[in-house]
Amino acid sequence: MLGLVAWLRDLVKLIDALEELKKPLAEAAPCFRAALACGFTPLHFETFLRAQLTQRLPRKRVRLDTGLFGDLRGNLERLHKAPLEVLVVIIEWQDLDLRLGIRTLGGWRTTDLQDIVNSTAEALRLLHDSIIEISGFLPVCVSIPTLPLPPLFMTSPQQASSYELQLRELIASFSSTISTQAKVRVVNSQLLNELSTPHDRFDIKSEVQTGFPYKLSHASSLAELVADLIAPSSPKKGIITDLDDTMWAGILGEVGLEGISWSLDQGTHLHGVYQQFLESLASAGILIAVASKNELELVNRAFERSDLRLSKDNIYPLEVHWSRKSESVRRILQVWNLGADDVIFLDDSPMEASEVKDAFPEMECLVFPKSDYEAFWVLLKDLRRAFGKRSVNEEDLIRTRSIREAAALRGVEISSGSPDDFLRSAAASVRVELASGGQDTRAFELVNKTNQFNLNGRRWTQAAWSSYFIDPAAFLMTVAYEDKYGPLGKISAVLGRVDGKTVKIDSWVMSCRAFSRRIEHQTLKQIFEKFRAEEIVFEYLPTPRNAPLREFLMEMLGAEPQPGGSLSFAQFSSRSFEIFQRVEEAVNE
Amino acid sequence: MNEVRGRLVRCFSVVFPQLSADQIPTASVQTVQEWDSLAAVTLVAVLQEEFAVEIDFGDLPQLESFDAVLRYLGSRKVSGNGHG
Repeated sequence: MLGLVAWLRDLVKLIDALEELKKPLAEAAPCFRAALACGFTPLHFETFLRAQLTQRLPRKRVRLDTGLFGDLRGNLERLHKAPLEVLVVIIEWQDLDLRLGIRTLGGWRTTDLQDIVNSTAEALRLLHDSIIEISGFLPVCVSIPTLPLPPLFMTSPQQASSYELQLRELIASFSSTISTQAKVRVVNSQLLNELSTPHDRFDIKSEVQTGFPYKLSHASSLAELVADLIAPSSPKKGIITDLDDTMWAGILGEVGLEGISWSLDQGTHLHGVYQQFLESLASAGILIAVASKNELELVNRAFERSDLRLSKDNIYPLEVHWSRKSESVRRILQVWNLGADDVIFLDDSPMEASEVKDAFPEMECLVFPKSDYEAFWVLLKDLRRAFGKRSVNEEDLIRTRSIREAAALRGVEISSGSPDDFLRSAAASVRVELASGGQDTRAFELVNKTNQFNLNGRRWTQAAWSSYFIDPAAFLMTVAYEDKYGPLGKISAVLGRVDGKTVKIDSWVMSCRAFSRRIEHQTLKQIFEKFRAEEIVFEYLPTPRNAPLREFLMEMLGAEPQPGGSLSFAQFSSRSFEIFQRVEEAVNE
Repeated sequence: MNEVRGRLVRCFSVVFPQLSADQIPTASVQTVQEWDSLAAVTLVAVLQEEFAVEIDFGDLPQLESFDAVLRYLGSRKVSGNGHG
């Protein structure tokens, strides 16, 4: 295996975390302000978390506010009032009832146990209400109890006490309920168990002497997971897979259609699991392409097998021929309009993986471990980590289809000769929505991940995004597009402010899937019309990747765009092409 | 012992980042303003981790200068290779 990006595990020790915090940072570096609400002395956990965040956000000055000892709920209420990017809530059992810790002697009699369960239920109810309220305007990362319950139950350790099970049920119900909120992220206990052995987390001496209950190794692991929730690495967007001995066992050209397999009976079940995994990725909007040295006709027939778990509809494009794999990958990246670092290549041949890696050093190129069960299991977990996303939205569900249709559309455009004829025949419509608040999570996501058609490359933190809309002159305009080839979903977002007859645009992005349809022209037209504007001012900045936006502005302005440059309505009217989309009624928030 | 001393300098440099390399060997509770109870707890945690020794908080009064910590580690027979 050539290796996927590994976990950042170089801040395991406290001394390394402290070393990280010593590194100098420019005075002018913007502040990333977070708060840590917990009931214990934050001590080394705070150090680890700050170090992890500093490492993930190298150009920011990380500030981590903390609260008072023994008052989790009070801390939560006090801390969230500051202008934060995120609130971290670490819950341990003693925060729910002091008798579930060891620093107070409240009683572990059998007659106390039901009362402990009842007060835990009430504490969780209050925490639930606070977290739901705060998550309405602020991302909240929550860790549910990670330490073992003290030995207060009457049953022998081998037997789970019904009180213990009730407590665990309360926690499960609490965490599953809050996890449904868009801005709440709950630490994954299963992964934490892999990183930090459950029986080796509690430091009783430290808890009694300093009020800090974690062993350093546990504090380090938990901080790492919380930091991953706060500042995750960008998820990969597509996977390019081989077929023979990867998607299925066997060489299609040698064993024929009936010879390839992915079943328990034939000892090739892992390939079936892999197909199921790819199907799962596709259902979440991850792009899947095939690069295979094979006969296309034979492959097409293989995909007609009804027992294949992955439908051919989930795959686009299919590069099947005898040329080099790197050539196939180059064409796939072109169709997807993605960079090599957005994609994973997977092949059973180390040689093919190396050939692609040589051509695309930024690409993760992995070898399919066809006969190593443990390595296969690790591969699936690594892939899930690489493609993990916070939620699946409407646009994810239509991504493969819209890319397929965009490619088809380019073909039609070329054959029809005139772009106007083609666009006229597309029967397109746009839905323009205007809002005065920043509740639109899709718009937030678009602004923070679009590179090419991006006015200035500015990325927005949650706090900056929310603050922007405090200005009554601020607006968010989004555009969704659909034509006879299918919907593209919400593909453009504009953040701007109105000042009399002038509209100032601070951010403007459009998905690359939406190029060549004059949606950008329509967007400007809508801004001029809806605000009766005479002039639009662009907070343009060149970036290494926003050439498409720059070229569009050059077309409009007739000159190289400048920061703060403006476009008058007269200029726009004289330069703009005919726009054929039907505009659906706008919805005001 | 020189290796232990070198690693102890690193421990002090991360717990008291404001100290220069010259100031560390003479550092003490009296000379370092930032050497408060929180710093002392952090220093103990770093020492325990770095030298794989168990330090009781009851020993804290003995650990009030760089030299005192070095002697304490010597008395605990920490190895040059230690944990780190």
